[in-house]
Amino acid sequence: MRGEALYLPLSPYASLLTDANMPLITLSNVYKTYRHGSLEVTALTDFSLEIAEGEFIVLAGPSGSGKTTVLNLVGGLDRPSAGAVTVGALEIASASAAVLADYRLRRVGFIFQSYNLIPVLTAAENAEFTLMLQGVPRPERRRRVTELFIELGIEGLEERRPGDLSGGQQQRVAIARALAAAPGVVLADEPTANLDSHTAEELLDLMRDLNRRRGVTFLFSSHDDRVIGRARRVVRLEDGRMVGDSTTNR
Amino acid sequence: MLTALAFRNLWRNRRRTLLTLSAMVVSAALLILALGVFSGMIDDMLATTTRLYHGHLVLAAPGYHAHRDLHAHLPEVTAELPALAGIEGRLGSTPRLRAFGLFSVATSSQPVEILGVDPVREPAVTTLHRQLVAGRYLQPGEQGVVIIGSALAKKLGASVGSEVVVVTQAADGSIGNDLLTVRGIFTTGDSRHDGRLAVTSLPWLQHLLVLDGRIHEVTIAIAEPMTAFTVADRLNTVLPAGIAARDWGDILPEMRDAIASFDVSRMIVVGILYFATGLGILNTCFMSVLERTREFGLLLATGMRPWGIRRLVLLETLFLALLGSTAGLLGGFLLTWYMQAIGIDLSGAITPITYAGGTILPRLRAVFEPANFLVPAAMLVAVALFAGFLPANRAARLDPVAALREE
Repeated sequence: MRGEALYLPLSPYASLLTDANMPLITLSNVYKTYRHGSLEVTALTDFSLEIAEGEFIVLAGPSGSGKTTVLNLVGGLDRPSAGAVTVGALEIASASAAVLADYRLRRVGFIFQSYNLIPVLTAAENAEFTLMLQGVPRPERRRRVTELFIELGIEGLEERRPGDLSGGQQQRVAIARALAAAPGVVLADEPTANLDSHTAEELLDLMRDLNRRRGVTFLFSSHDDRVIGRARRVVRLEDGRMVGDSTTNR
Repeated sequence: MLTALAFRNLWRNRRRTLLTLSAMVVSAALLILALGVFSGMIDDMLATTTRLYHGHLVLAAPGYHAHRDLHAHLPEVTAELPALAGIEGRLGSTPRLRAFGLFSVATSSQPVEILGVDPVREPAVTTLHRQLVAGRYLQPGEQGVVIIGSALAKKLGASVGSEVVVVTQAADGSIGNDLLTVRGIFTTGDSRHDGRLAVTSLPWLQHLLVLDGRIHEVTIAIAEPMTAFTVADRLNTVLPAGIAARDWGDILPEMRDAIASFDVSRMIVVGILYFATGLGILNTCFMSVLERTREFGLLLATGMRPWGIRRLVLLETLFLALLGSTAGLLGGFLLTWYMQAIGIDLSGAITPITYAGGTILPRLRAVFEPANFLVPAAMLVAVALFAGFLPANRAARLDPVAALREE
C-alpha cells in the first residue's frame, strides 16, 4: 500500500474559507512585541502576508527573524500586539481562548523541529491524540491513523514508543498527528532541522505530495535550503520584517 | 486514552514515583495501625469500667445515680421488661441492689460498696467472675458469701474463707448487720473496685436491707458500646414512668470526654502525618509538571483545554493516591491484624493506669474499626488531590508559546 494515494475524507472543519476568492490566511500590518523583564523585544514589524488555500509556502530567514512568531500567530497560539491575523473567518486577535483552542484542535496541525511526541504513548496513540480530544470513537481513530501510517510509510510501527523510533520515523508520526484530524492548515516549525539530508528530503517530498493530493495548506518556517528549494513560494524575513516574497513554478 | 496517559505518566520517573508511593503507603499503614492501637486503648478503657462493673446501659429510678439513694428502688421485675428483649445486640441484663457500709475483720474495718447480684445473669453483663485471683465466684442460691477486691482483702487482712462482719443501714431505718464468708478475691487493676467493692448475692442483700423483691438498677451489656447513646434514647421513649435509661456516657461523663479527646488527638495525628505526606506528593507532582512543561505546551497547541490539562495532572495524582491508599490499607490491615492477634505486652515495664474512670492496660493491642481504615484511605486521596491541584493549575495556566520554547 505504501506510495499509493490514499485520500482521507477531509473533516467538515478542514476548509476554512467562507469565500473562495478570499485568501485563506491574512496578516495585515502585524506587530508583535515580547517583554522579557524590563526589556521589550520586537519580533514582527508591520508584517503583512496573504496565503491562499492549498499553498506550500516557506518562511525563510535566520534565527530570530520572526518565522516562528508568524506560525504562532497563524496557529492561534499567540495574538498580535497590533494589526490583524485572520484565518478564514476567524480573527485571531479578538477570538476567545476557548475559540482559539477549538480552532487549534479542529483546523490546524502542528509539526515541530523536535517532533514533540509524548514518550509514554505509542506511535498510533500519539497520532490519534487530537482525534481523541475531538471525541472521535476509538475504532474510527485507529482506522484513520492506520491509513495515515500506510500513506506515510510507517505501517507496522503503530505500537512502538517514540523512543524506539528513528528521528525520521518520529517526524512521520508527528506528521500523522498533524494530519489525523484532517486540518485545513499544517504549520511546520523547522521540521527537518534535526534530520539527516536523505530523511529530510524524503519527508519534504512526502509533505509536498500531501499538499498536492489533499489540498492542505502547508506553512513552514525554515532556514534549510532543502526546504526552501522545494517550496513554490518563499517569504523571506529579517529582523521581523518581510524582505522578499517569491513564487516559482515547482 | 487520557486515563492511560495519566497512568503511564506516573511511571516516567519510576524511582521518584516509588519513593513517593512508599512514603504514602508507610504513612497510611502506620496511621491505620496507630488508630487501631488508639481504638484498642479506648476499648480497654471502656471495657475495664463497663464490662467490669458499670455495664453499657443502666435502668434506674430517675435521680438514683446522683445520690445513690437507698430508697430510690424499683421492683425486681423491672429486669424482665419486654422493652429490654428488643435491644439490638443485647448481651445480657441483670438486676442489682447496692448498699454502702462497713466491713470488719478482727480489729480492722473498711468502708465498702456492697453489690447484690444474680450470679447467673451477672456474668453475661460484667466480667468480674473472670478476674478472680483466689477462691471462686458466687454460686446460684448461695447465701452469706461474698467476693471482694484484692486491695480490700489486704487492708482487712482477709483471705478466702475469712468471715467478715458487715454493717449497713437498712431501708426501714434499722441497722443491718450480718456475717459474710469470703468465697473469692478479685483483681481488676482499677483501684476503686479492688479497694472497696464487695459482691454478694441479690436475695441476701435484699433481706439485709429489708428490700425484698426490690432492686436499684438493671444493668445491660450490648455488643456495640458506641451505640448505647441511641439505645438509651430509644428505651426512654418506651419505658414506664419512674424508670430512666442512662448510657455509659451519662454514668461516666469523664470517660465520654476522654474518648472525645482521643478522637481529637486522632485527627491531630492524622493531620500532622498527612501534612508531611502531602508535601511529598506536592513535590512529586510539581517536579513531574516542571519536567513536562514543553509537553503541556504541545497539548495546549493541539487544542487541549486548560481543564483537560488540569484533569490529566489530577488523574495522575488520583492514581498515585489510589495506589498509595490501597497498599496502605493492605499494610495497615496486616499491622492491625498482628497487633490484634499478638500485640505487645508491656506489663513488665508499666503498671495499669486508671484514667477517666477506666483503666489503660499495660499492653499495646489494636482493634479493627472500619473508620480507622476508611478515614486514612479517604483522607490520603483527599490530601493527594489537594496537593496535586497546585501543580495541575500551574500546568493548565501555561502559555503554550513559552512552554514550547522550554528545553
